[in-house]
Amino acid sequence: MTEMEPREAGIDSLLRRSMAAPVPSLPPDFDQRLMREVRRSSQPLDRYRRILLTGYGLTSVVASAVVMRGQGLDWGAIAVMILGPLALVATVPWARRATHTTTRQSAR
Amino acid sequence: MDRARSGDRQAFAELVSRYSALVFRLAVSILGREFIPEAEDVAQEVFLKVHHAIESFRGEAEFSSWIYRIAFNQAVNLKARVRFRSPHADETVLYRAVSPEPGPYRQAETAQRDQALAGCIQTLPEVYQSALRLYYWLGAGVGEVAVLLGVPENTAKSYLHRARQLLHGMLREKGYSSD
Repeated sequence: MTEMEPREAGIDSLLRRSMAAPVPSLPPDFDQRLMREVRRSSQPLDRYRRILLTGYGLTSVVASAVVMRGQGLDWGAIAVMILGPLALVATVPWARRATHTTTRQSAR
Repeated sequence: MDRARSGDRQAFAELVSRYSALVFRLAVSILGREFIPEAEDVAQEVFLKVHHAIESFRGEAEFSSWIYRIAFNQAVNLKARVRFRSPHADETVLYRAVSPEPGPYRQAETAQRDQALAGCIQTLPEVYQSALRLYYWLGAGVGEVAVLLGVPENTAKSYLHRARQLLHGMLREKGYSSD
């Protein structure tokens, strides 16, 4: 702050004086407490989410199969219609990872 | 960074120890002296969010800019919520604690002006308030102000310059001299 208008100098010294107060800092054990919180919040959430998603997925598959069978489709067509989208969903993250790796390698 | 992204807890702990103090300083600069415990909560929330979203961080921006942006938004949101709550410490008490003025009349006058100044600061845009607190209270240089607010140094300088101009005008309107 080298260039300061004369009228700014007054407010500058007023701010310096009036805002002078002890500077707070984080407690020394903040990092440890945070890492404990990270462990606590991530593990059960992941497990719970996985169980929930698996349950939802299985229920959807069974319900879809029953409905499609009720409409008169044969088991082959039902299997293709259920496994096809699942295969697509499984392929997307793999393709994204492969693309990301190739991009990073070519950037180097 | 790559290790932390792939789920390495030790690498994430290193990121925490590198950035926690800076994130806290930024949060404090936005929330002010009355809400220091809340600033600590903000720092914790920021790292939990970062941990949750780190896999999606693609590295287009600097990691530091990303984390400071999260901290800024988190603190501004919290400030909007706690604005009407009574503060943990009145700012004027802190002012008086460091006031070197001699007589009681002079002390009262100074305290009044400081209170008016604190009120004026709170009406400034968030980035100006944050820049002022970082620079005048937390002792940050213009470079650090610029990094934490995610702007070029010249912009940080102009924030401080504009904030001082505005405060000068506001104090004058209230009948206080800034000399």
